[in-house]
Amino acid sequence: MKAVPLKLGELKAEGLVIRRSPIHWLCEDGHLCRPSEVVGFCTISMEVALNQRGSNIPMTDELDFQVAIAPRTAGRLRMDKSSSPGGYLSVHGLHAWNSDDIVGYLEVATDEALDTLGQELRLLMLAGRRMSGLADVDAGLLPGWHSRSRAWWGDHEGPSATLLCMGICDAAGIVRGNQVPFIETFESTPRATQVVYVPDHPVLPCAPVLLDQFLRTPAQNQAIAADLGAALSGGRVTATSDDWLFAGALLSWLERSPLRDTYDVVTPTGLRHLGPPSAILLSLSSEAPSILRHKKLGYALQMLRHRQTSAGPAIRAWLASEFDTIKRSIGDIRRDYRLLIETVAKQTGAKIFILNRMSTSGYEDIVSYSPFDAPMSDTLENIAAKELNLMLHDLAEECDISIIDVDALAAEIGGAEHLPDGIHHSAAMQAVLRSAIFSAWDFPLQSASLAVK
Amino acid sequence: MLFDLRLTKINPNMSSGMIECCYVQPGSPIKAGEKLFDLRVDLSAGFSQYCPPISYFRVVARESGFLRKLCVKPGDNVNVGDLLAILGSSIDENDDEVPARSLRVTTAGIAHHSSMWSARDQ
Repeated sequence: MKAVPLKLGELKAEGLVIRRSPIHWLCEDGHLCRPSEVVGFCTISMEVALNQRGSNIPMTDELDFQVAIAPRTAGRLRMDKSSSPGGYLSVHGLHAWNSDDIVGYLEVATDEALDTLGQELRLLMLAGRRMSGLADVDAGLLPGWHSRSRAWWGDHEGPSATLLCMGICDAAGIVRGNQVPFIETFESTPRATQVVYVPDHPVLPCAPVLLDQFLRTPAQNQAIAADLGAALSGGRVTATSDDWLFAGALLSWLERSPLRDTYDVVTPTGLRHLGPPSAILLSLSSEAPSILRHKKLGYALQMLRHRQTSAGPAIRAWLASEFDTIKRSIGDIRRDYRLLIETVAKQTGAKIFILNRMSTSGYEDIVSYSPFDAPMSDTLENIAAKELNLMLHDLAEECDISIIDVDALAAEIGGAEHLPDGIHHSAAMQAVLRSAIFSAWDFPLQSASLAVK
Repeated sequence: MLFDLRLTKINPNMSSGMIECCYVQPGSPIKAGEKLFDLRVDLSAGFSQYCPPISYFRVVARESGFLRKLCVKPGDNVNVGDLLAILGSSIDENDDEVPARSLRVTTAGIAHHSSMWSARDQ
């Protein structure tokens, strides 16, 4: 048995001082770790170094920036208790980042000396852009309400590609995972990838809404904000606090297309800037049978029903009076997808992945279709899902997309048990889908020198 | 002969459901293949602040009869095992009889539609 010191390792941003909080441990002393298992984290802040007045501080819109730590090898964790005073003192950035800081030891069953890299912790970087500066929570990994969250392994030069996930709960669970955000995803992928998640708060990320958002000009965004502001302040229904909060989240979502976002990443070799996402994960479950179209400004909008319910009365009145409800046929959905895919391909070159739909609930015992109104795809969920899945196959013939076959994978492991309502997965189903996405993404593995031991 | 119709477990994780539509009236004849109820099953059991895992189902009669008693109306929450209706094989049966068995029904997942109780406020 050998006790290997766990050193923080390098983390650099040119011209800046990186500060960290003490370690907040996520497990007990003596915990038996898997390789790359996240065992603790610290919060990070950056400030301009002395004599570096020209340096800009990156990620200023991401108020939650944390580094999670993971041993590279399996072993029993022994914490350095002095590394974690707890309470608020484990939240605030007290120390300058020092690569030689030892935060604990790993007892490993080997007589062989581990090389330098083996003693350094793996660093999983996590950053969250708050929906509002008010949405701060002090405890935990990526706490609070984020309009965008992301993670990447801080291995050597960091990630070289970005996977953006825009879906409802079916996509969220795959990347955000079952325990703490992103951890399962990054334990299971050896790729040099950044993963970004944008929630459906409050807008449903369906193709026409995403396309409008992608193409909208600043002047159009201002017109939307002015119209919404006028509706809430001068409408026939008095706006409540729920209305204003909802309106803020809505404008935040509409004004900034995640398909165009670029990213600063802090790595052991320095600060790097990544362009727009190289791959985008969408979900067929987001393609609602109808969308809302603003009567005057013409933009598309849709929300899940429980999101509309959470809005205040003035927002609901605004949606009812200022928007037309436009029904979408399967042909319309296919056209909307094609427009989005072609536009994104032209402008950013991103590869598109689409989760299809589970096409049976597993509990049906239909003996006659006569009680179900025609067209049956409007009535029966399983037929609607089958038709949409077929449409997706046709679309794949004409566009460069990859289908993540939720339907087949659910059938393999038991859809009724692992995907009971067609949207919310079990942890096992999330793992299967995660693996399918990274298998379908023809993106290089990390080089051997970066590979986890 | 009387038949009862109770809320059964459509999904093993459910404990209750909500009546969205009643398609039948007491005293009316029921034909095999006739739709009886649309139901909502919310697996989150009331945690409404979270994305609700809601599914909708249609219950259809697989045998003919007469609706003798309707125990629910749209908007009612019912627990698994609760009585929804009593049906009889003829119109003039004695209501005091104990139901001989449950009515045979078909259940299928359906899309939310504008006639449902939960669509009334939208």
